[in-house]
Amino acid sequence: MATSRTVKVHVNGVVYEQTVEARKTLVDFLREDVGLTGTNVGCEHGVCGACTILMNGEAVRSCIMLAAQADGAELMTVEGLAKAGGELHPIQEAVREKHGLQCGFCTPGFLMTTYELLNKHPDADEEEIKEWLSGHLCRCTGYQDILESVKLAASRLRNP
Amino acid sequence: MATAEPKLPSELPISQPRHVGKDSARMEDPLLLTGRVEYGNDIRTPGMLHAAILRSPHAHALIKSIDTARAEKLPGVAAVLTGKEVKHWSRPVFGIPEGWTGYALAVEKTHWVGEPVAVVAASDRYIAEDALELIEVEYEPLEPVVDALTAGSASALKVLEGKDSNIAFDRRFAFGDVDGAFASADLIVREQFRWHRSSGNPIETCVCIADWNPVNGMLTLRGGHRSPHLILPALVISLGIPSQQVRIIQSPLGGSFGVKTFARYVVLIALMAKKLGGRPVKWTEDRIEHLIGNSSHAWDRHYDCELALQRDGTIAGMKMQLVDDLGAFSEWLAIGMLLKPLLCLGSCYHIANVDYSCKGVITNKTPQGPLRAFGLPPHFWVIEQLIEIAAKKLGLESNEVRRRNFIKKDQFPYVSPSGNIYDSGDYEASLSLLLAKAGYDELRCEQQAARAQGRLVGIGVVSSIEPGLTGPPMLALASPRIFSRTSSPEGILVRIDSFGKFIAELGFPPGGQSQHSFVRQILADYFGLTLEDIQVITVDSLSMQPSTGPISSSMAIALSGAVLGAAARLTDKLKRAAGVMLEASADDVELFDGQFRVRGVPGKSLVVAQVALFMMARPDLLPEGVDGNPQATYVWNPPDRTIPDEKGFGRYSVTAAGAQHLCMVEVDHETGQVKILKYVMVDDCGVRLNPSVVRGMLMGGMAHGVGTALLEEYVYDDKGQMLTSSYMDYLMPTIMEVPAAEEHEMCTPSPIAPLGVKGVGEGALHTTPAAILCAVNDALDPLGITITEAPMTPLRIWKALQTRASH
Amino acid sequence: MKPAKFDYYDPRSLEEALALLDTHQGDGKILAGGQSLMPLLNMRLARPNIVVDINRIKELNYVRASDGGIVIGALARQRALQTEQLIAERMPILQEAAYYIAHPQIRSRGTICGSIAHADPAAELPALALALEAEMTLSSAKGTRSVGAETFFQSFFTTALEANEILTEVRFPAPPKDSAWSVLEISRRHGDFAIVGIVAGLALDSDRQVIAQARLVYFGVGPTPIRVKAAEEALIGQHAEEAAFEAAAQSAKQGIDPSNDIHASEEYRRAVAATLTKRALRAALEKLRKN
Repeated sequence: MATSRTVKVHVNGVVYEQTVEARKTLVDFLREDVGLTGTNVGCEHGVCGACTILMNGEAVRSCIMLAAQADGAELMTVEGLAKAGGELHPIQEAVREKHGLQCGFCTPGFLMTTYELLNKHPDADEEEIKEWLSGHLCRCTGYQDILESVKLAASRLRNP
Repeated sequence: MATAEPKLPSELPISQPRHVGKDSARMEDPLLLTGRVEYGNDIRTPGMLHAAILRSPHAHALIKSIDTARAEKLPGVAAVLTGKEVKHWSRPVFGIPEGWTGYALAVEKTHWVGEPVAVVAASDRYIAEDALELIEVEYEPLEPVVDALTAGSASALKVLEGKDSNIAFDRRFAFGDVDGAFASADLIVREQFRWHRSSGNPIETCVCIADWNPVNGMLTLRGGHRSPHLILPALVISLGIPSQQVRIIQSPLGGSFGVKTFARYVVLIALMAKKLGGRPVKWTEDRIEHLIGNSSHAWDRHYDCELALQRDGTIAGMKMQLVDDLGAFSEWLAIGMLLKPLLCLGSCYHIANVDYSCKGVITNKTPQGPLRAFGLPPHFWVIEQLIEIAAKKLGLESNEVRRRNFIKKDQFPYVSPSGNIYDSGDYEASLSLLLAKAGYDELRCEQQAARAQGRLVGIGVVSSIEPGLTGPPMLALASPRIFSRTSSPEGILVRIDSFGKFIAELGFPPGGQSQHSFVRQILADYFGLTLEDIQVITVDSLSMQPSTGPISSSMAIALSGAVLGAAARLTDKLKRAAGVMLEASADDVELFDGQFRVRGVPGKSLVVAQVALFMMARPDLLPEGVDGNPQATYVWNPPDRTIPDEKGFGRYSVTAAGAQHLCMVEVDHETGQVKILKYVMVDDCGVRLNPSVVRGMLMGGMAHGVGTALLEEYVYDDKGQMLTSSYMDYLMPTIMEVPAAEEHEMCTPSPIAPLGVKGVGEGALHTTPAAILCAVNDALDPLGITITEAPMTPLRIWKALQTRASH
Repeated sequence: MKPAKFDYYDPRSLEEALALLDTHQGDGKILAGGQSLMPLLNMRLARPNIVVDINRIKELNYVRASDGGIVIGALARQRALQTEQLIAERMPILQEAAYYIAHPQIRSRGTICGSIAHADPAAELPALALALEAEMTLSSAKGTRSVGAETFFQSFFTTALEANEILTEVRFPAPPKDSAWSVLEISRRHGDFAIVGIVAGLALDSDRQVIAQARLVYFGVGPTPIRVKAAEEALIGQHAEEAAFEAAAQSAKQGIDPSNDIHASEEYRRAVAATLTKRALRAALEKLRKN
């Protein structure tokens, strides 16, 4: 049946397999079928960045991807950042310390972008950090504390 | 010592506050950071269906017929709701002034593009949207009313059924001797301003899950609701449901900014639940719905204003007239936005003679909703821009004019023209601090140098007032029947469990402003606890104390008052038990640094947990009238408020935070683009319970202000079609558009509010547009240009430059 | 906003993909990066009956050298513009332009060929293709054909692609020897589509004073990216200085076809096109002087 598709993904290291309508978006798949609601939906037109997850290590907007496109991929969502025992990832810890969140709705998207950014560009300067964060909207913080959080996370990851 | 309300953190029963006034870690963060918080859209209940809303494509049209048969037959569809049923089962949605709304669904006609026409409930949202396409509606388009300036005329087509006018509200408020002031003035400046619509746009849209049990009549609502206590009357009135059968279980919010009361949609989804006869249904608003259909637009205004001054720059009086395009309904409490200026008519300036008239008209556009504490950005821009224009005409430096007119430090508490009191402030010192920190004189030199090169560089310095805690009494001016009340209750329950741990119960959910955290901070310092000893939860609407919730710059004041009140009551109770334990009279027992001691008797002391456990273990030993339950509730209400008289005179706010901002911009004279070169803020919100939280909100408000001044605009064509119905065209600021800003604290503690706090949360948003817009006009000043329309888009600026060039 | 129903295929070979398009006679949409298509599907502004996802056709993902120029396969992501050494060496203007294209998260999925095939007149890549005189390879079940950028872009979101064709490769020939390029854009926010944009290329005579070659392509100012040859001719043979740039700017004003929308008027676009012409030419000249 070409209107549905069996999707098998690794999400945060765990395998999920589900048959869904082909038109189902990746973010809906993650939230409803996989049951991970940490990734949020903000606009469904690829602008706000709230739905950002990592697919094969790259930050992507899951609201403008089909679940079927993730078949066979390694995905990471915000739930995969902290350790199983609850210990926060250094990026999460830095955001907490620098008050880089208020309502938290945009936060998972920012965290995933930051994860890829600092993974691939550990020495990113302010200009590069801002370029990466420019794909995310936040209405609460005004961005400055988020920027400071990312800078702190970067320095901590460089010198663990 | 502990029973009087502490007016400063130093008055808490602790030698040195460890948490109040400090950057305390937020209790909300761990769940938010790990994605484990449960927002409304994360909730799943058994058998839950999903709703989708069919919306009108016409601004103004009769509904000739609606056929839902094909939609109902689509596999997966459970039911379809139409206007006929809504009319039968409900009353029009709540709005003040009363009588200027319609039903939750369009019934005989549609009034704006995006107005709900039908609702489908299906097994998933995808199918529900498929079903929408199968609903056949026959419309007969009517001429839309889109011009606010002519909508009020007698000959205009009337938007609302049964109304013979489109003027929902028309009031004039005059204080002092305005005619006299204008007659004796040396200079009168007059200007007209145009301010376009924008809205809050939290990143989380509205979500509501409704479950209406036909057996016991209980309506259970879940989702991100900002203030259940506030919308309960709206639900009771529209749905005719007994209030004790409504239960609102609240989720943490992804921001609100005034949007998350959405009473109309709660009514609508409840009616869908009613039709479903026992199956729960969730509606998740999508972004396009939010932009066009959520009654949350704000400030669509035409201003005509005059400022009268003496030659030396003293302001003698002000006349402010505005027409506000309310959209199709005067819905919910949107009208409050026309009334809010009464709380701070003259801003930071002593202007005794003010004539303020405001008209709210109905048109075929999306209804407005109270944005950001009934927001004031247009008000402050108008005042500051008039000061700039006047100063120039008088040949005075505008900051000199500001200083001359500032309310002086020794005039506090200051009674403003409307009777509303500013509790404290030192605007002169704030301005001096701002100019010093910004290096104002150097900036003016830089500007001179830039101008010599032909560059358009401008500086704006502006002031504002953020009235703290407004609400019911102000709204009495639009609806005396419902809002003639001085109360704005905020209630809390604080109890100690059988292990000595504290639990505080609030009536509203977290939504970004850290209220749960500061409750914890206050209790920790009051009772000498660690933060971890305290749990703060939100309880549902049937369990909660009366709570107005975080609307209009109130929580620092009201919630602090509630916590302190409950803490005092609990302490009184604990003291009576401690007295037994310490073999002393309760009157001789005091609480300090978390210890109960007998006054003047060093040595034996008890911590709170010991006393509480004793109470619970040995109620037989307690004095008469003291039960074995270490618990207290307290409902705080603002002191000394009055209901405004018919002239609008009264005391209906509590505090007055003040802000001064400086913005330096460069305008590209060929493209009209604006670049913000520098941004500095000074904010006086009294005592800051958690400095990093306050700073974060100021930065957030500033960013929203950048969007409001330069980017965000809802544009309608002449057929009432909204041209900005997605994030491609409604432009929210990103990190690239928001400058790095400096923020400096000024603190004149409130003598009225608990702990010396003032409401903050909007201060920056209220001020930033004025700062940016005045800066742009300062940049254009050498060309003799003053733009009086917001937002100042590149196109508007460029057009002004072209018009000037051609003359 | 959820998409309407469609049949979905993710073929493993180009042949399979082309056969599907052929079978469904114009009712199929290619899904590559999806950064343009998916929002349209979500909003139900696009309602294809079939979606052919080409992301599994690995052999389409390449950036290779070709005759001094570069060939880019259908699946090469926009991010490659910033990471591929070949592009940095042979066509740095493409790397420079990437700064204007949306945001990193979009660029990690969006494809270069996809943007060209989508042909948004306010997008950067179609304009670059036109300015650099790119050649598009259009493949169908019946074979391939080559179409030059000049004839490829036909109207708003409309190209020479037939309903059963896929843009499988774009060839950017080597830019003229010793040319310097500049791309500039005016947009409401960083990363937004252009209100007005320009790609300008300049090459000087051996005396390094007189303009030998010029290319001026504008975007956001018509139904397609527009190359204003009259403006180019106003430069050729002139000294590389303000007077020539001004002449080109005035000519460009007339040579474009802008319209009004809520962000900008026709007059604004014309005026800003003139401004950007001068700024871009100055920037290109400065690059030439530096070398």
